[in-house]
Amino acid sequence: MGQLIHRYRAAIPWLLMLPGLAWLAVFFVVPNVQMLLFSLSEGTLLTGFTTPPDTWSFDNFPGAVTRYSGNFVNSIVYGGLATILCFLIGYPLAYGIAFRGGRYKSLLLFLVIAPFFTSFLIRTISWRIILGNDGPFLGIIRDVLGLVPDNFSVIGTPLAVVGGLTYEFLPFMVLPLYVSLEKVDRRLVEAAQDLYAGPWRRGGAITGALLGGFLAVALQVGLGYSQFVGETATPGLVALAALVGATAGGLVGASMVSQAFLRVTLPLSLPGVFAGSILTFIPSIGDYVNAHLLGSPKTQMIGNVIQGRFLEQNDYPTAAALAFILMAAILVAIFVYARVLGTEELSGGRA
Amino acid sequence: MTPQEEETPVADTNLAQRAISRRTVLKGGSLVGLSAFLAACGGGGSTAAPTTGGEATPAPTTGGEATPVPTADSGEITGPLNFANWPAYIDLNDDESASPTLDDFEAQYGIEVKYVEDIQTNEDFFATVAPALQAGLDTGWDLIVLTDYMAARLVRQGWVETINPANVSTAAANVRDELRGLGWDPDMTYHYPWQSGATGVGYNVVSTKRDLTSIGDLFDDAFKGKVTLLSGYQDTFSLVSLLLRERGEITNLPPDLTLEDAQKIKDFLQPFVDSGHVRAFTGNEYLQDFGSGDTWVAVVWSGDLASSGGEDDRFIYPVEGSIIWTDNMLIPKGAQHKRAAEAMIDFVYDVDNAARLAAWIYYISPVKGVADVIAAEDAELAANPLLFPPADVTAKQYAQPDLTDEEDIAFNDLVSLLEGA
Repeated sequence: MGQLIHRYRAAIPWLLMLPGLAWLAVFFVVPNVQMLLFSLSEGTLLTGFTTPPDTWSFDNFPGAVTRYSGNFVNSIVYGGLATILCFLIGYPLAYGIAFRGGRYKSLLLFLVIAPFFTSFLIRTISWRIILGNDGPFLGIIRDVLGLVPDNFSVIGTPLAVVGGLTYEFLPFMVLPLYVSLEKVDRRLVEAAQDLYAGPWRRGGAITGALLGGFLAVALQVGLGYSQFVGETATPGLVALAALVGATAGGLVGASMVSQAFLRVTLPLSLPGVFAGSILTFIPSIGDYVNAHLLGSPKTQMIGNVIQGRFLEQNDYPTAAALAFILMAAILVAIFVYARVLGTEELSGGRA
Repeated sequence: MTPQEEETPVADTNLAQRAISRRTVLKGGSLVGLSAFLAACGGGGSTAAPTTGGEATPAPTTGGEATPVPTADSGEITGPLNFANWPAYIDLNDDESASPTLDDFEAQYGIEVKYVEDIQTNEDFFATVAPALQAGLDTGWDLIVLTDYMAARLVRQGWVETINPANVSTAAANVRDELRGLGWDPDMTYHYPWQSGATGVGYNVVSTKRDLTSIGDLFDDAFKGKVTLLSGYQDTFSLVSLLLRERGEITNLPPDLTLEDAQKIKDFLQPFVDSGHVRAFTGNEYLQDFGSGDTWVAVVWSGDLASSGGEDDRFIYPVEGSIIWTDNMLIPKGAQHKRAAEAMIDFVYDVDNAARLAAWIYYISPVKGVADVIAAEDAELAANPLLFPPADVTAKQYAQPDLTDEEDIAFNDLVSLLEGA
């Protein structure tokens, strides 16, 4: 018996992987092959499909890209903004929990995950209520502060969609960030401080101002915040946004970022940044619930098109083609992103 | 509003042109709306299986290839009856915890009814059941309710069980004459109407600060961002075509709309979508938006706001005309409890049952004699134009477009460009 095991020892890892591989083969490869065949087919559910090898409609792919380019842009812009916002909100949160959480760490982490105990759908619908006409958000900015006219609606704006996405996927950002920050060896930070890694006032102010200004402009333009007030994004408004963002970013950068953080903690947390932004970006770019419930016809994302093509028009070929294009785009984006961040940091090699 | 009042001689019929608000005090809106959302965005999620699940969806017959499922035609009535219907389409008791119609049916036949408000739009529901029907499998539903054009499509595909006339004698006797002899099912072999209704304009009078009368009011600048339209071409395109017809841009009536007309309608609506004037295209979930004040004016179905909306929500038959349609009960192919479905069809065609249902949901009953029963009990309700549209309204009511499958695809392409997805 012992001899038998010894002889086939090399096969053991493969045996252990077998259930996983079989699972992937059945539930990943098979459906994807089916989808690939659909993406090269013609027809709809009602008229019947002509599938390969009877036809090879490669035209489905360029056709889908041209026709739904607007939806692709929406997806990338909203998904990207949601990921950036998740990072800006999530990094300080994860840092705080990891470095200052003390004995409340577990409780704080639990609170981060707590929203997952309710349904995704219910949480998005509750955002409709928060942002809705009777909701607290408009209650403050419209009724109390009078910043917007009476018929102003937050629901239907890109702001609502990006807000919803940011909220839904924040835990996906916080948890990986927390894991990588938690692993940072405090002695390295102390050593850096001993070695004259002091405050980073000028660099922090400049970097913060640049980032803050850029983000504010991106938000202002990307969200088209003012479209329902009847104004477009005028240069004046963009300049104002840039000024406010730069000031806020500069203050934060100058007062809160130290050399030790910049040179030790941040690089060591990059694997978390990478994992967190991938985990946030991928689901948010393909999401359709937020755009459906919080958006308007102009803010529909590519997920909405795929859902509509599959489930309303019964146009499986176009839907399948779009799904593959999305998959390819995401793969390329991740590849580029991994190259930019550097694979060594991602595997924690330098730590 | 004076022009209409001058035109109509009898005071009661003024109601037709003027706003119709609800009579009874309910607070169902939010609840209905919530289930509407769940269904709306469930898409794939709320598929064929009824919510209560497992035992309700027995394994399909082993044959697979479109084998007709042996259903007991003459046999016993067995349950549960898996009944898919639209929101705000069944009567409720005072605290809205149960439905008297369904309770009575359960008591009479001793079977459970699994009534699920799972149908938001014809297209969505079709997409959830079509794959099963095409594969010759049971959809999990025994009775479904679809609008004329979609019911006709299912019949054309051969995806509907025939109804045994012996089991629906009450229905056969009581169905109103004008609903018989339709082209797609002249002998009521496959369907019986559930209710008829109109597509018109709904609004919240407190928000709009004035009474509305026309389709053109949907596009009043004052309501920018607070307007929703129904998704798909059957309701919105048909209704807007009446506005464009009034303006001389379209000559065809809604049943005869061509692709060229549809293009004009799309071109007319596009700027309102681009400017954010039209905030969304919805199914029944407009009820929720009226409740929260996010929608002030919308293209709506006639009975919903009266049965499930707020005190200040109104429905009008616009002066340009309105769209009339019928939702029909169908037994999908392979239904496991066909006999129970037939019993339900017969049950809701009992005059008293039908009157109770119509009086609650404010739609037009397909049952003869309902008018007399309601008139005997409630004169005010008998004059309600939602249940009994007056002659000047019906003179300007038109059916939805009747398109081939190819035309349907072309129209839907325009719709998807307009709706952004």
